[in-house]
Amino acid sequence: MSDALNPGGARPNVVLLSLGLAGLLAWVVFDAVSVAPNRIVSGQGHGAWDVAGWPGLVASLAPMLAMLALAWRPSRRHLRLALGLVVAMLAALPAWLALAAARLIESEMPQARLGIGAGVWVALFLLLLAMVELRTRLALPRLLGGALLLPPLMSLAVWLASGLEPLALRQELLARRDGFIAAIGEHLLLVGAAVAISLLLGVAIALAMRRWVRCRTLGFALLNSLQTIPSLALFGLLLAPLAWLAAHVEWLAALGVSGIGWAPALLALVGYSLLPMVRNTFVALDEVDTGVIDAARGMGMSRGQIFRQVRLPLAAPVILEGIRITTVQAIGLAAVAALIGAGGLGTFIFQGLGQAAMDMVLLGALPILVMALVADALLGALSDRLRQGAAS
Amino acid sequence: MIELIGVSKRFGQTTAVDDISLRMAPGELSVLVGTSGCGKSTTLRMINRLIEHSDGEIHIDGQQIRGFREETLRRRMGYAIQSTGLFPHWTVARNIGLVPRLLKWPASRIHARVESLMTMLGLPMDEFADKMPRQLSGGQAQRVGVARALAADPDILLMDEPFGALDPITRETLQHELRELQARLQKTIVFVTHDMDEALRLADRLVVMDQGRIRQQGHPLALLREPADGFVASLLGGEDRGLKEAALLTVGERMMPLGAKPLPGERISRHATLREALSMMLWRHAERLVVIDDQGMAIGELSLRRLVGARSHE
Repeated sequence: MSDALNPGGARPNVVLLSLGLAGLLAWVVFDAVSVAPNRIVSGQGHGAWDVAGWPGLVASLAPMLAMLALAWRPSRRHLRLALGLVVAMLAALPAWLALAAARLIESEMPQARLGIGAGVWVALFLLLLAMVELRTRLALPRLLGGALLLPPLMSLAVWLASGLEPLALRQELLARRDGFIAAIGEHLLLVGAAVAISLLLGVAIALAMRRWVRCRTLGFALLNSLQTIPSLALFGLLLAPLAWLAAHVEWLAALGVSGIGWAPALLALVGYSLLPMVRNTFVALDEVDTGVIDAARGMGMSRGQIFRQVRLPLAAPVILEGIRITTVQAIGLAAVAALIGAGGLGTFIFQGLGQAAMDMVLLGALPILVMALVADALLGALSDRLRQGAAS
Repeated sequence: MIELIGVSKRFGQTTAVDDISLRMAPGELSVLVGTSGCGKSTTLRMINRLIEHSDGEIHIDGQQIRGFREETLRRRMGYAIQSTGLFPHWTVARNIGLVPRLLKWPASRIHARVESLMTMLGLPMDEFADKMPRQLSGGQAQRVGVARALAADPDILLMDEPFGALDPITRETLQHELRELQARLQKTIVFVTHDMDEALRLADRLVVMDQGRIRQQGHPLALLREPADGFVASLLGGEDRGLKEAALLTVGERMMPLGAKPLPGERISRHATLREALSMMLWRHAERLVVIDDQGMAIGELSLRRLVGARSHE
C-alpha cells in the first residue's frame, strides 16, 4: 500500500544494500573467531566455514540475504521485517560464538581462549549501522529504538552464563571482576560529577551572557579555545597549578586534590563540558518566542516568574539536549583521564594497550560504548518527552 | 480613564513618540492608527510601562503610572498581542487564568471566571479547557488571547494589532465580536492597528499618528468628512473615503419611513450599512430598496437619491 502511495519508498535502499553486501563479504572472508591455548600465545584464526561447515555457513548467510531482498523493495512493511531480521541477527551473534567455542575448543584445554574475529566484529558494526538506518527510515521514537537493543543484550547475557565460558573477554572480566566494577563506579562518578558541575556552571554562565552582552563574545571565545586544547595537554597544564594548590592550601590537600588523580581529570572534563552546556543553555533560553515573553511581561509577571514559569520550561528540552551531548562526550573523555591516575574504565584500555592484550582493551572500551549509548538513548527520550509536553 | 500629557519617547537619537497628548474616556474604544514606525505601538506599550516614557506624564484614573509597581500596573490592564503570546506549555484554561493566579484569587473563583469567559467567547469549556494552544486555529487562539486579557476583569484593555495575523473572514468575525463584547463590558480599550478598515469599524475615537505625532483625532466620521490634511485623507482611503463613510452608516439612518403597506422590490435589513445597500443596488440594477426590520416587516424605503443624499439627515 505504501508502495503505491510513496513511489520513492519503492526504490532500493542503497544504504541497507551496501551494508548487507559488505556484511556478507566480511562474514565469508574474515576470521569469525580466533582460538588461543592460553592468554600469552596469540590465537589461531578460524573462518565461518571452520565454525559451521558449508551447510552452516550457507544457513548463517540466509537472514542477511533475506534482508537484502527486503531492502530491494523497501516498503514500510518490508523495512519493519528487515528491522526484525537485524535484531534477530544481532541476538544470534552470541549463539554463533558459542557454537564456535563448542566446535573449535576441545574440553582438555581449560586455559583455551576464544577471541572474537574481524568477521564477527564487522558484522556487529554493520548490523548496528543497519539498525540506525532502519530506525531513522521508520521514524521510531528514541526509546523504542533503544529497546530494540534489549534482545541482543539479553541473548549475550544468557550465552555468557553458559556456552561462552572460553570467551577471552569473559575470562578477562572474571580475572578482574572487582577492579572492573570499581572502575565502572569511578567512571560514572567522574562523569556524573563533571556533568553536574558543568550544568550548574553552564547555566550560570549562560545567564550572565544573556545579561551582559560583552560577556557573550568573550565567554564563547574562551570556551571555544578551551575546547581546542588536546585533552592530554590540558591534564599536563593542570598538573603544576593543582600540585601547587595542594601544597599550599591544606583543606584542598585533605580533600585529595593533587597534580594527578581525580582533581585534574574532573577540572578538564568540566572544562570540555562547558562549551556544549553553555551553548545549548544560551540558545535554549534565547530562542523562546519573544511574543510569549512579551505577553508574560504585559500580563504582569515578575522577572523571576517569567524565568521559572515560562522561559525555563520552554527551554528545558534544548538544555536537556545539551546535557545529553555533554554526558556522551564526558563518558568518552573520562577514559583518557586514566592516564593521570583518575581511574575509570580507561585503566583497562591503557593497561591492555601496554600489554598488547586486545581483550583487556575491549573490557575497558565496550562498557564505555554501552554507557554512552544508554545515556544517549535515555536523555534523548527524556528530551523528546519534554518537547512533546511543551508542544502538545 | 487614560490620559497622556505631553508624552515623548526617545531611543537614543531618534524620537519615536513626540510630545503627544491624549485622553481616552472610560468605556471608549480608541484606535491608534498609522503606518508602521509611526509610534502607535510604542504609545500603547508606554501605557503599561513595557516601554518607559522619556518625558511627560501618563495617568490612569488620575494617578501617575510611575506611582505603581510595574507588575501591579500591568495586572490592572488586559494585554492582547498579534502573536497571541499564549504559553505553549500551558492548557487553554491555565493560560486564561494567568492574571487571576498572579493576583492570588482562590482556585474556585479562577475556575468560575475562566468558565464564564470561555462561554462568553464561544469556546465551550469541556471542548477547549484542556487543549494546548497549538491545537487551536488562529481565530480560536486569538479568542483565548482576548479571554486571557479580560480574565481579571480589568477596566483597561490594551490590544496591539490583535487580529493582524488572521485571515480576512476570521478577522471580521472577531472585530464584530469585539464590538459586541465592548457594548456589554464598556472597557476602556486602546487598540493599535495599521488596517484602516479595522480602525474605522471599531473606533469610537480614531487617533491618526505619523512620525511620532498625532495628526488628527476624533470620531471616525468626523475624520472622514474633514481630514485635517492630505496625509490623513490619503491614509483614510483617499478617493475611497465615500465608501468607507458609507460603511459606517446604516440603512436605518437614511431610509424614508413608510406605513405598513407592503412594497415590491429587493429587501435589505435596516441594520445593513449604506455600503452594502449601494452594493446591492449596483448588483441588482435597482434604484430603490425595501427596508425591513428584524421581523422581516417592511418599514421603509431607501432610494439611490436618499442613499447619496444630503448630510442633513444625521
